[in-house]
Amino acid sequence: MSVATATPTRSPAAPAAGGRAGQSDPGAPWGALGFGSPGALGVLLLLYAPFLYTVVLSFTEYDGLTSPQWVGIDNFTRFFEDPAMGTSVRNTLMWVVGTTLVPVALGLLVALLSFGIRGGTLLRLPFMLPYALSGAGLGVIWGFILQSGGAANDILGALGLPGADTSFLLEQPWNTISMIVAWTWQQTGVNTLFFLVGLQSIPKEPLEAARLDGATGWKLFRHVIWPLLAPLTTVVVGLALVASLKTFDIVWVMTQGGPGRNSETLAVTMYRDAFVAGEYGYGSAVAMVLTLTTGAVTLAYLRRQVKVREDLS
Amino acid sequence: MFVRARVLTALVAAASLVLTACGGGDDKDSGSGTKTELKLYNDKGAWGPYFEDVGKLSQEQIGIGMKPVGYTDEPTYSAFIKASFRTNNKPDLFTWSTGGRLEEIVESGQVAETTDLWKEAVAAGDLSKELESTYTYDGKQYCVPLNISYWVMFYNKKVFDDNGVKPPTTWAELMASADTLKGKGIKPFYHTSVLFSFVWFQQLLIGTDPELYNKLATGEAKYTDPGVVAVMERWKQMIDGGYFSDPGSKEDPAVQLKTGKTAMGIFGTWFNTSMTQQGMKPGQDYGMFVIPTVTPGSGKNTVAFESGPLCSLAKAPDTASSTKYMKWWVQQPAQEKWANSRGDVSANPKVTIPDPSLAAIAKAAGDGEYSLANRYFEAAPAPVLTAALDAFGAFMVDPGSYMKQLENIQKAADEYWKGR
Repeated sequence: MSVATATPTRSPAAPAAGGRAGQSDPGAPWGALGFGSPGALGVLLLLYAPFLYTVVLSFTEYDGLTSPQWVGIDNFTRFFEDPAMGTSVRNTLMWVVGTTLVPVALGLLVALLSFGIRGGTLLRLPFMLPYALSGAGLGVIWGFILQSGGAANDILGALGLPGADTSFLLEQPWNTISMIVAWTWQQTGVNTLFFLVGLQSIPKEPLEAARLDGATGWKLFRHVIWPLLAPLTTVVVGLALVASLKTFDIVWVMTQGGPGRNSETLAVTMYRDAFVAGEYGYGSAVAMVLTLTTGAVTLAYLRRQVKVREDLS
Repeated sequence: MFVRARVLTALVAAASLVLTACGGGDDKDSGSGTKTELKLYNDKGAWGPYFEDVGKLSQEQIGIGMKPVGYTDEPTYSAFIKASFRTNNKPDLFTWSTGGRLEEIVESGQVAETTDLWKEAVAAGDLSKELESTYTYDGKQYCVPLNISYWVMFYNKKVFDDNGVKPPTTWAELMASADTLKGKGIKPFYHTSVLFSFVWFQQLLIGTDPELYNKLATGEAKYTDPGVVAVMERWKQMIDGGYFSDPGSKEDPAVQLKTGKTAMGIFGTWFNTSMTQQGMKPGQDYGMFVIPTVTPGSGKNTVAFESGPLCSLAKAPDTASSTKYMKWWVQQPAQEKWANSRGDVSANPKVTIPDPSLAAIAKAAGDGEYSLANRYFEAAPAPVLTAALDAFGAFMVDPGSYMKQLENIQKAADEYWKGR
């Protein structure tokens, strides 16, 4: 193998740019530390410190006015006994399943159907445009469509379809399902974009070889395109998974987690307990549970994907 | 040497950055009375122009201007004010709500006492003695009234006239009018599952048993008591009977009333601002009436009443200027501007109200024609209120669940009153 010879080496005749050739700099690590410290301090103050503060608060009772009182694991015990948490966890699971499967599958479908055909860009455009909206903007628009007596009810009524009298944002589980539909409307576009990048990066040779072997349509997709898209699918599903677990903005704008807390997700519960109810300790405990869940789920998913990839190779 | 100097420079730069970030406000001479412009933090973002008008007037009259810093999201606002207690970034003046929430921040020792100010204002006739109790904790006063409002029924005059309906004087007349309107395909009453979900509970309870309403607020009665259950059953009957607009509608209530889709809505008299902002004229396009008692012969009508406070902190940036401003705020010139520009009543009895129907309500309330009940939002302790708002929202979607919802509120009430 020629690996050793191909390894780039610095020629003794060529001094490092801006450096003093052939001289080691004993102060370099300290210099780096000195210049790196403002950034490091920023990260420490803005990311690590609040995180650690939240961890500490989660073991306290704190109303934001008096000093926090240490309560041990009471907040966590309360979390698992609170009936509202059952609803919140169930809704979060609906979000995870719904938003991991539907927008990803639709994104893949749109990418596949529009890839490599004339006018594909134009056909994809309507799916891409909603991505330009913010989460809050999305919530406001769909809130008006789905509100009781809103556009969705009117259209269903005019077409003589069932659901004309359904209060989409009030009734459980319709409120969560409706919000997942709204989310899908927006997220399909970005998933399409990801899959298009994936499709463009697939080398032509295996595709041509498969076609010569007579593979077309579903067979070509199932046995050639899908495995080649796998690395990208892992990223897309991973991102969708994390996004679904921390769903907040759209729910807060459309229903504020109500009525009667029946459309809350864990992120909404966290906000509500901390900032609306003013129970910062309990809200921090919910934040901890949410963080640990998101971390654990993401890690488990990525590990599994890596293992599958290793088994395949 | 060069390396050391480099390290030192970097560390000094880092340290100065950190110190700049952590330094916050400079510790100004508190209470000096030198500030000529105060910032008034408030959760009433839509009232910005009215605050600014008063700010211009105060600049002319006492040489202290005022700039409003408006929030529209209450939880964010509340978190900011609480956080300011522990930092140097403190508001000069801020709005809050009376009842349990004011008690909470007074107990924390953060709010500036206004006992002397109240004494002077009551003596001068700028504030009424009756209002004083709303601002009293342990015999001392805190804050001054930002606004006061009576909760009455607003109605679309044209809808009433077109359908031959008149403002009622009894509950039976009110329901008969509602039946007439319902027959014409108009929703008689406005209803919402968000924030103001408590309004009909409040109205039906003060209209049936005001004493029970007061006892609920002090923890002497339970939400599962027969009187409260009966109120929920009446409310359920009204929902089942189709008397209410859809609680899930996101349409502005003022627009609902303007378009005539909904004929009536219970609101504080501050709702005048919303109606006039929709281009409606008081007395011409819309009117208001005091809601009659549900149970006939139960004495005077009880009217829900709210008063929002204007506060300053004990450690405000300039306590002398903040106090001077609050003293001026309760006086007639400030209140004329503040109340009349918003079309609401004033805490200062000397203020003349141009709107005749509003003036009539204010006069009747002042003359003791009605019993006043503290609005539920302020009367209920904060944790009970949070549970109740959730419960009432859930009840509107599933009225059959009223007993379960009352039990949920009582659970929060038991938890709250347990340690008191």
